[in-house]
Amino acid sequence: MASRRDFLKTLPAAAMAAGAAHPLLSWAADQATIRVPGKDGMIVRSYRFLDLEMPVEFMTDWITPANHFYVRNHMFEPAKLDAKAWNLTIGGEVEKPLTLTLADLEKIPVHSVTNTMECAGNGRSGHNPKVPGIQWGKGAVGNAEFSGPSLKTLLEKAVVKNTGKHVQFRGFDPVPGKVPPFVRSIPIKKAMDGDTLVATQMNGAALTAHHGFPARAVTPGWAGAASCKWLMEITVLDKPAEGNFMSPGYRMPNAPVKPGEAVKPEDTHSITALTVKSTIAAPSDGAKLKPGAHVIQGVAWAGEADITKVEISTDGGASWNPAQLGKDQARYAWRLWNYAWNPAKSGDYVILSRATDSQGRVQPNAAVWNPGGYLYNACDQVKVYVQA
Amino acid sequence: MFKRSASLVALNLWCLGVAAVAQLSPNEQLPAGSAQVKAAAACLTCHEARIIVQQRLSKAAWSKEMDKMIKWGAEVDPKDRDALIDYFSGNFGPDQPSYAAPSSAREPQTGAKAKH
Repeated sequence: MASRRDFLKTLPAAAMAAGAAHPLLSWAADQATIRVPGKDGMIVRSYRFLDLEMPVEFMTDWITPANHFYVRNHMFEPAKLDAKAWNLTIGGEVEKPLTLTLADLEKIPVHSVTNTMECAGNGRSGHNPKVPGIQWGKGAVGNAEFSGPSLKTLLEKAVVKNTGKHVQFRGFDPVPGKVPPFVRSIPIKKAMDGDTLVATQMNGAALTAHHGFPARAVTPGWAGAASCKWLMEITVLDKPAEGNFMSPGYRMPNAPVKPGEAVKPEDTHSITALTVKSTIAAPSDGAKLKPGAHVIQGVAWAGEADITKVEISTDGGASWNPAQLGKDQARYAWRLWNYAWNPAKSGDYVILSRATDSQGRVQPNAAVWNPGGYLYNACDQVKVYVQA
Repeated sequence: MFKRSASLVALNLWCLGVAAVAQLSPNEQLPAGSAQVKAAAACLTCHEARIIVQQRLSKAAWSKEMDKMIKWGAEVDPKDRDALIDYFSGNFGPDQPSYAAPSSAREPQTGAKAKH
């Protein structure tokens, strides 16, 4: 293990100099900026460790380019990774433990999945009372095409024993202090569904360092924490992985709890698939609009389910009308939507969006408060003023 | 004369603005206070201050966070614990206005458009 870590160096802060502002977007005007190589106009929730959020203004493309895709790092980001020195081990409850180089992986047939990945904590800042954690707004989510060997293919090569029930991922992000390593597992059924990947590419290009170069797990439709970056070790287990990021991390109470109420670990469950959600990309919250025709637009996603309907209200929820869904679609991908709006008179308007999915789930008016601030999915809302 | 002075003031303000843009530190700072130095020593070895200053937590929640971080390696003298919790809850309590996160610089993709 030590030798594998020798070539890892944490990102030196001095390597990222402060940059000049480019106030081209509303939220960047009159605001100093921080230069993050490879990233364009993101909201900096944290610089060290790097946590970047996509502004909602960018949610108008079906595919999110890598420079706009959110970044969630729990630890330091490995830097100067040597792809030739990298390898991936597959062990645990298998008959034939494997060690694969990047060249080995590249010989295995490639499977591509267009996946909307969302951090479980996306929208945490909307919970009241506030809970600790990165105070994400609406943009810890993105949609990209991930490609690489299917995890099923690799596990079949390793021959999983009958005792193998869960598959654990471990990355090589360096751990600070005594922080437990970022180790999580998914059930064998999800690991073997054919769409769960060991991805080496994102949108047709090699993964960037921020997104897990040279390889990451991609568990489609599930919260981002199931898609471990900088993957180096896959271990088949006879039970779920243990550790902070399995419990108490990334768990939801089985029934709603009140703030401050103690929740027993046995009364919680691990977060898996994402819930139903829509977000308004335009107009921006607080926008002053000219009179006339406008397009309200955004995205909607539902994890492993399909979006069946997005409705828009322009009167604060009193009445709802269907939005038009975009033509681009894929099993785990978000849908673009738009709604033509021609306000009859000037004044203040509250615009809401509400998604419904193929499992019959409907985006609620209020999200379920929980101690981790996870899976916030209340109907999205922007307030605008239409000028006379 | 007044007009010229006003122009100079405007120019100076513009320059200050440019200087502020150029000098923005990527890492956030902890606010002044009696526990600032000890908080920085305990916390900022592993992560930057922005992770702290964006929180809006009750004293009880800060106490819980403090214990978690001590378990994870934050070096806190037991006799400083209460002062640090007071410092965090006083500066980053539930009634404080929300923290405004900065943006990263615009850096559009160059060269051939990435495959979508």
